[in-house]
Amino acid sequence: MTINVARTALKGVTFHNSLKTNRGFTLFCPYGYSPFTDACTDVWLIDMDGQIVYRWPMSYLPGLHATLLPNGHLLYPATTKSPAERKAPVEAGFIGYGDAVFEYDWDGNLIWEVETPYQHHDVLRLSTGHIMYPSQGEPAGLIPGQVAAKWKGGLHGTEVDGTKMYSDIVHEVDREGNSVWDWNMYEFLDPELDAMCPLEKRTEWHINSLWQCRDGSILVSVRNMSQILKVDYPSGKVIARYGRGQISHQHDARELDNGNILCFDNGPHRYGYEPSYSRVVEIDPDSDKIVWQYKAPLASDFYSGVTSGAERLPNGNTLICDSVPGRIFEVTCDGELAWEYISPFMGDRKDANTYGGKMFRAHRYPYDYPAFKGKDLDPANFPWENRLFGPSAWKKNFSPCIF
Amino acid sequence: MSVAFTSIKGTTFYNSRKAYAGFNLLTPIEGEGVWLIDMMGELVHYWGMGYRPGCYGELLPNGHLLYQGKIDSSPLAHLEGAGGILLEADWQGNVLWEYRDPYLHHAFYRMENGNTLVLKWIVVPNGIACNLKGGFSNCDDSEEVWSDCIQEIDPDGKVVWEWIGHDHLDPEVDEICPLCPRTTWTHANACVECPNGDILVSFMKTNTLAIIDKKNGHVKRRLGSGEFTHQHSPNILDNGNVLVFDNGFHELYAPNVMSRVLELNPNDGTIVWCFGESNERHLFYSSTMSSCQRLPNGNTFICEGTWGRIFEVDQGGELVWEFVNKFPSFDASPTESKSSPVYSAYRYGLDYSGLSRSIRKVGQRQISPAAAKRDDETAQSRSEIAGY
Repeated sequence: MTINVARTALKGVTFHNSLKTNRGFTLFCPYGYSPFTDACTDVWLIDMDGQIVYRWPMSYLPGLHATLLPNGHLLYPATTKSPAERKAPVEAGFIGYGDAVFEYDWDGNLIWEVETPYQHHDVLRLSTGHIMYPSQGEPAGLIPGQVAAKWKGGLHGTEVDGTKMYSDIVHEVDREGNSVWDWNMYEFLDPELDAMCPLEKRTEWHINSLWQCRDGSILVSVRNMSQILKVDYPSGKVIARYGRGQISHQHDARELDNGNILCFDNGPHRYGYEPSYSRVVEIDPDSDKIVWQYKAPLASDFYSGVTSGAERLPNGNTLICDSVPGRIFEVTCDGELAWEYISPFMGDRKDANTYGGKMFRAHRYPYDYPAFKGKDLDPANFPWENRLFGPSAWKKNFSPCIF
Repeated sequence: MSVAFTSIKGTTFYNSRKAYAGFNLLTPIEGEGVWLIDMMGELVHYWGMGYRPGCYGELLPNGHLLYQGKIDSSPLAHLEGAGGILLEADWQGNVLWEYRDPYLHHAFYRMENGNTLVLKWIVVPNGIACNLKGGFSNCDDSEEVWSDCIQEIDPDGKVVWEWIGHDHLDPEVDEICPLCPRTTWTHANACVECPNGDILVSFMKTNTLAIIDKKNGHVKRRLGSGEFTHQHSPNILDNGNVLVFDNGFHELYAPNVMSRVLELNPNDGTIVWCFGESNERHLFYSSTMSSCQRLPNGNTFICEGTWGRIFEVDQGGELVWEFVNKFPSFDASPTESKSSPVYSAYRYGLDYSGLSRSIRKVGQRQISPAAAKRDDETAQSRSEIAGY
């Protein structure tokens, strides 16, 4: 029984302007919701009509999103341990820890795995085949007391055990799992320039995305500082800061082909008194100014306070994962809606806490993406899944329930 | 824009067995008037007031509408919740009483004795303003800081009682939310008369409800202490408890996206009832505006402001009625669909003295004995629209 009929009545693809979309298949992974008893969650691949064309059942929760590699393999960071087993000293105020990264082939066979202790949120596959991930809560991340005391912002008195603050460490590991590069962020940040959001606990800084730019540097999105860092690789020096004072608790910072930076600006702790809203912004790195944005016509109609992401598609459209209400949608560069999909995989299953069914990010792969070459993507291969969750399962028109 | 979240309007759900039947009064922020609708979402009456709302209207027991309008030329018109003119109108919309003050904002309250409580902004003296804690300033520190003043106005427009915020508030205790600008200190958004004559005020920017002693102006009690943020619409229940809409805006740590409606024990601030702790927290969130009301049958009537969604839940939190604002203009084209926010809404039962007898008859038909009978026969009735 829902507490909101008006916003839950429609599911699946609710809008599609096929003249405007950048067509392809959409990959997403609900957090801890599977309709099937043998899976902990599923990675779903759907077509533009919302038909299920592929499904990878998973036995572990995601940590936090799956990506389809060009060779057709699926990269899947996973939560394999309980919080007690992980022994992270930072109270897990968020879900999103992973302990290992798995690579599966198209048929779901495990090809490769590597232990990634304390990993959280994101895993980046580099062109060298290495992976890079943020970690949090490991002993090396403990910020020395003198440094922590100097740090500006946050709510004083909320530190772990009253005094301790943890920084994130970005690790790069090779195919054999050997650590080849570590970036302990507090060593490179500035207590004044990198002050924390005034309404966050002084326990952790919370990296939530990594992206490698064409010049080799790394874009690091730091949620609790509401800013994006550009980090020189391999020296680790912070060479630029973006978004400070303009964005709030953003996610998914990435470099576009034009050199600008796209990110999902969540907005829970914006300064001022405008009703909560999210937006997707494109920032010019030279001026640190917002040069493009997508906001809903009534801004508060689009709001996801946590998680979420956005990616620029080849035709200039933007695919947005509006995570909290379980919506994936595509807008043109003029901000016109081109496609909208409401995930039917929402609810509380598999110990998913209150995040049941939300997906951290969604990805759109065009039809000519190499991973699909020679693959059978006929929705008829998934008849039962489609009967329950495909287009025919949803009513197109709403009729009120009055009795 | 979203087709899925903003294209469904009107009455979407009505469990006539459990809902408290009556009429619903709502004030959309984009309009210039107040709408009265029945349980089926049909328009019953409209008062065009000629002013945009600042922020809402309500139906008095004598059948008059009391409404605050916004005067665009007032010096503080740029602040959220600015008003400026109070209007009392009869059923036909004839204005019977009017009170103007350019500094009026947000809320008013018609008292037992016929006087009216109003909220107005008042400048904080410099000596106090520089000691305020919290908040942020927009570079220009010389800007004035406004705190709240509560006035009791008699029917002739005379001020018969006044309470000035900075005389009684404590800069040390009444700290501004760090994400809010220092242009206003407490930013009150509601005031209510308690049965013992005390005044209950909601201070939005300090995240507190305060009970003020009418006799000496002392702040007798503050409720809140981190329990709720940027709350709206406190009201005193028959059992003495306080019902309040906890918007959850600028909340600590930002882990959740949710609003709540809380019933508090006013003596110790403990929560005795709560709506909004469900597993679908994100489906109930309005960062600003909003209201709540306890109905005579124990149900709770809620206005989720930014979405323009008005709904009713029973004591167990089960949805029994839902309406999404379709006024003032609902464009059926899905590419245009967006929400129409509503500042607050009220439900008036069929026996409410402020409703005329002819209107009540319209309502009676909607209690729908046919639907009730059908329920006895078959519980699964997801029937066609009942009523008239």
